[in-house]
Amino acid sequence: MTDNQEQLIQEAVEKALQGDMDAVNNIEDRVTRSKAKAALVKAKREAAKTSAEPSSEDKSEESATESKPAPLSLNQKIAGIIASQFPGTVDEESSSETHIQLQPAKWFDVAQYLRDDPACLFDSLQCVTGVDLGEESELEVRYNLHSMTHRHAVEIRIECARNNPKVPSVETVWHIGDWFERETYDMFGIEFEGHRDLRRILLPDDWEGWPLRKDYEVQETYHGIVVPKVKEGWE
Amino acid sequence: MGVFENKFHDNVVIASLDKLLGWARSTSPWFFQFGLACCAIEMMATAASRHDLMRIGMIPRSSPRQADVMIVAGTVTLKMALRVKKLYEQMANPKYVISMGSCATSGGPYWQHGYHVLKGVDLVVPVDVYIPGCPPRPESLIEGLLKLQEKIQSERPLTRKTA
Amino acid sequence: MVLNIGPQHPSTHGVLRLKVVTDGEIVSDITPIIGYLHRCFEKHCENSTYEQVIPYTDRCDYIASMNNNFGYVVAMEELMEIKVPERVEYIRVIMAELNRIASHLLALGTYGLDVGAFTPFLYMFRDRERILDIFELTCGARLLYNYMWVGGVSHDLPVGFVETVYNFLDYFEPKVQEYNDILTFNKIFIERTADVGVLLPEVAISFGVSGPNLRGSGVKWDIRKDEPYSIYERFDFDVPVGQGLVGTMGDCWDRFYVRVLEMIESTKILRQALKDIPANGDVHQALPKKIRPPKGSIYRRTESPRGDLGYYIISDGSPQPYRLKMRSPAFTALSVLNEISRGWMLSDVIAVLGSLDIVLGEIDR
Repeated sequence: MTDNQEQLIQEAVEKALQGDMDAVNNIEDRVTRSKAKAALVKAKREAAKTSAEPSSEDKSEESATESKPAPLSLNQKIAGIIASQFPGTVDEESSSETHIQLQPAKWFDVAQYLRDDPACLFDSLQCVTGVDLGEESELEVRYNLHSMTHRHAVEIRIECARNNPKVPSVETVWHIGDWFERETYDMFGIEFEGHRDLRRILLPDDWEGWPLRKDYEVQETYHGIVVPKVKEGWE
Repeated sequence: MGVFENKFHDNVVIASLDKLLGWARSTSPWFFQFGLACCAIEMMATAASRHDLMRIGMIPRSSPRQADVMIVAGTVTLKMALRVKKLYEQMANPKYVISMGSCATSGGPYWQHGYHVLKGVDLVVPVDVYIPGCPPRPESLIEGLLKLQEKIQSERPLTRKTA
Repeated sequence: MVLNIGPQHPSTHGVLRLKVVTDGEIVSDITPIIGYLHRCFEKHCENSTYEQVIPYTDRCDYIASMNNNFGYVVAMEELMEIKVPERVEYIRVIMAELNRIASHLLALGTYGLDVGAFTPFLYMFRDRERILDIFELTCGARLLYNYMWVGGVSHDLPVGFVETVYNFLDYFEPKVQEYNDILTFNKIFIERTADVGVLLPEVAISFGVSGPNLRGSGVKWDIRKDEPYSIYERFDFDVPVGQGLVGTMGDCWDRFYVRVLEMIESTKILRQALKDIPANGDVHQALPKKIRPPKGSIYRRTESPRGDLGYYIISDGSPQPYRLKMRSPAFTALSVLNEISRGWMLSDVIAVLGSLDIVLGEIDR
């Protein structure tokens, strides 16, 4: 590597560490550019290590500097509102800046409150995602809510047991919950209590198994038709 | 027919019966528009004004009883496979099937983890012409149809089939 | 009487089955039954790398594949905090808007076909072929492009691209007036679609309807303006809403007319983008060597021609997504069919279904 190249890479990396990626991206020669990117990754890793060390050593200093509270994100504010109205439902440890973790028991009441309370007004349920957290873990349902009037959005996560997953249904609160919950039931087997017509929506009614779980095994035949890939040598 | 041109008066045609029947049967196959997925859009584009399907005699018909050719365009899922079979049985003889696109031929890009995808429509109905592509260009579809016309032309419907 | 429409039927929306309960000629209940095109998209995404997911996203909403790619790529770049070069941003907006025009042309053409007008279908497909020619010039494919990659695009614009698109825009803008004369303000079409299938705004929001369907009911909501992504803030365009010009606000005609007006707005965006696009730039320079996003999840929405297309991506640090969920706008649009077509006659149901502009590939994934 020539001196010129080294200097160029160093300058680009310094600029990138301050947030300006254009310096790295604008390097014309591909080899130099990839070297610069590698150097940047290394520099970032070292910077993370040095900033992690003092905080793990000196916790008391850290808590003193953190006595000034960081501004709350929207998820945290809404979590506070829910916790004051429905004590015991918010799981404070697992909630974070980006999501609210709720206990399943009072989800229906919380949902109605979130839709009707003037400070929240979450009138639109955007997305319901079922997640399989791992072979040894539980299943989870994640709701993305959005408010058309206040233009803000939150994410709510509810965990349920793997063996008998039950979550209260919110299809009477937001009408689209009907189809979203049927789809989550179809793919994961999570039962939504209170849903008036919980049956499969995408797969045929006589399908066996919950496909998007991590331990799903495909059935061999369906009505006499072979399901897995058929011909030899297709890998 | 070409050998005997200009040898007789205009209103006399000499041809073998097989060739005549082949010409009559192959040049206006009406297709059963069985568009399922993305290939259906290409089928519609082929039937539209730039690549016109009507100039080779094909008209889309929506009822299986009125169609000769079934173009299976798109992925066949297991939920749909039972219906494909039923619709094929409702078509009147002589009937042909064209499998358009890689999904209908062998499952397409969904062959590996598609638990609900039928790996090829030839597992439920007998296919005459396979057209590869994802999706096949309109020119490919027209070539497939012309190949089908050749195949129909070369059939010998009058020959008694011996066991 | 219980009537069954589909799953194979002459309408062009795909394999949809409708179980219609009628009382004479009047419909009292409709149940859409879907799943005939369930192609296990989410299972494939969990077993492919992040780059390999892009062709699968194409095939979900196969009429507007550039917009599908765009949504995925915007979500991934936010998760990985990648900033793409200016030229790539402009190219992406140009492709997305061209695809929006193509998708609306198909939607309007097939809607005319459903209602009984065959000629607009042929005219709109003729114009759509010109757009597909432009796409073929750039990336070689007519329908499913695999064009937008995480961090860039797959091919740079060819020589003569800007001129070709300007020629197309000059040719296309007068055509919209022609479509209005033939179809939009045609007396028969108006009688078929005005006041039919009125969708109230509160019902629409509760059912999660978005895009032209929601704007047809008078709600001004467009992700390109309200939660902007890419460089949409730089462009000056309007968001058309339905006003009940020839009937009630929120009827089928309004949803149709909103789509026509949106095509004009897209041409405005295209002209602005073509004027400002930087002349040089390497479209591959921000492509990451290996896509390994940090652990975390993201939900990001973009505006596809059918509405709010959302991607919820959960990453666990490996090169394959842990969970990828696609929230499709047509899924929510179809769920509202029962509400708005009760009490109408059977042929009105077909008119309402066509005005919702659904694509079964997106609904079933």
